[in-house]
Amino acid sequence: MNDAAADIRPVLEARNVSKVFMTATHEVKALNAVSLTVSRGECLAIVGESGSGKTTFANMLLGIYPPSTGELFLDGDLLPARRTLPLRRAIQLVQQNPLSSLNPRRTVGASLRLALDVHDIGDREGRKTRIGGLLEEVGLPADFADRYPSALSGGQRQRVAIARALACEPEILVLDEPTSALDVLVQARVLQLLDELRHRRNLTYVFITHDLGVVRNIADRVSVFERGNLVEQAGTEEIFERPANAYTRSLIGAIPIITDDEEALRKKVMEKNSAG
Amino acid sequence: MSEFLLDIRDLKLGFKSYAGLIEVLHGISLNIRRGEKVALVGESGSGKSVTARIILGLLQEFSTARISGSVSFEGDDLETQPLSVRQGLRGTKISMIFQDPTSSLNPVYTIGVQFQEVLRRGDVQISAKQAEARAIALLEDVSIPEPERVLASYPFQLSGGMNQRVMIAMALANEPSLLIADEPGTALDVTVQAQTLHLMRDLVERKGTSVLFISHNLGVVREFADRVYVIYKGRLVEHGRTSELFHSPRHPYTKALMAAVPRITGGGIPDIAEATDAYLDPMIDHEAEATS
Repeated sequence: MNDAAADIRPVLEARNVSKVFMTATHEVKALNAVSLTVSRGECLAIVGESGSGKTTFANMLLGIYPPSTGELFLDGDLLPARRTLPLRRAIQLVQQNPLSSLNPRRTVGASLRLALDVHDIGDREGRKTRIGGLLEEVGLPADFADRYPSALSGGQRQRVAIARALACEPEILVLDEPTSALDVLVQARVLQLLDELRHRRNLTYVFITHDLGVVRNIADRVSVFERGNLVEQAGTEEIFERPANAYTRSLIGAIPIITDDEEALRKKVMEKNSAG
Repeated sequence: MSEFLLDIRDLKLGFKSYAGLIEVLHGISLNIRRGEKVALVGESGSGKSVTARIILGLLQEFSTARISGSVSFEGDDLETQPLSVRQGLRGTKISMIFQDPTSSLNPVYTIGVQFQEVLRRGDVQISAKQAEARAIALLEDVSIPEPERVLASYPFQLSGGMNQRVMIAMALANEPSLLIADEPGTALDVTVQAQTLHLMRDLVERKGTSVLFISHNLGVVREFADRVYVIYKGRLVEHGRTSELFHSPRHPYTKALMAAVPRITGGGIPDIAEATDAYLDPMIDHEAEATS
């Protein structure tokens, strides 16, 4: 785990990315001059509370809306405001709640097939076996293709959402709180799957979450967002052992923990905050 | 008078459906002493929330619900009490806090109006002026700055954390002897959740209120509760004092649950096997072992 297999060349780069939303009465600055890079094969965690701009950042990566100012690069090429099909295919999303992200009127197979059809992956015959293969890759039996999302458990649905993203053969997966809606036993197994897939397919993850326990065990590096600003960025161990920013420390201090070792770590981190 | 404020014995719940009886609770026995904070922890669908609803008498109103066993509150068996008495307990002697504070408050009335309603429940004679003064004092108790402004606000004008504090203040307004907190603050950010949890703990300790704390989050339970019951598929599987349970969990299910929580000290993603029949092993009761 956390092996530094990551290549040095950044697969993704954000340069001074800002986003301002206009409402009827005023401007809301959602993201403020964020610059960061993600290397190939790396898992970068973006942590922060609601309103920190982490989802705004993800939406811009996906091309849902362009940055107000600043640029995004994929493999060194500028990402345009209007994405071409191959660019959309390269960056895929897994959302928090699969019950709302999967179409309830489509079978699992139909949802996966749509991804293959849109991106014209494989021939007509090949798609069927590909769907079975994708399901097996995420640990589900191939005959789940005939089921509707309502007939699956939360963990199974999230596996389908992951298979749907993988169907596009992406380079980068944006995971927006992928396990927050799951029970802890199910969460552990889905995290296990995500970790395996990353190594097997040499995927790059942008992992958005507020759960620092998860971050500690899956991410190579961590970016901490607070109110639209990138306030701290470092290797995972560094962030947890020696957090430099007061906000990062308060986040670590607020995590509910279950062992004495964790309590000692939390205490050590919080002492710095009270010392000023 | 029993030593327990709340004493649930062999509680069973099933729902009648066209396919027969669906059993939800398979004989739950749990108790809470005065001033004690007891947690019921389990995954979604394990039966924690229905247990709370039975205590409040909310499920008894469903024609399909089949309930057996006994729930005693302050020494009286609630099942034998008339409906009016049971309803009278809600919001006075027993109150409840729900998961999402913003959706449990009425969006079309100000906090002040809703607070008055809560206080009227405890004292029908209370005047608007007295109610306002009392509400202000209660909001100050939960560290709300400018309580007058909050009383004049609608829930959507306040942050989630603020609404949660309002909910706590309301729940404790009539000095209940039992507070049922169902996943309080799960919808909030971690820093806000930690603050409101500390605040709630200090307040109930000061007032001597007993709490039934329902949660799926082991970390939160560890910080809040004196005693813990672990529930799995409608059965209690382990019970003990919080520190004992967290230091030496013995039931296979409790062990799996604890192993599954990713640690902030690292150690990798927990390796969890498929559910096994061992999760249905008989209950391990640390307390009963200690007294026998």
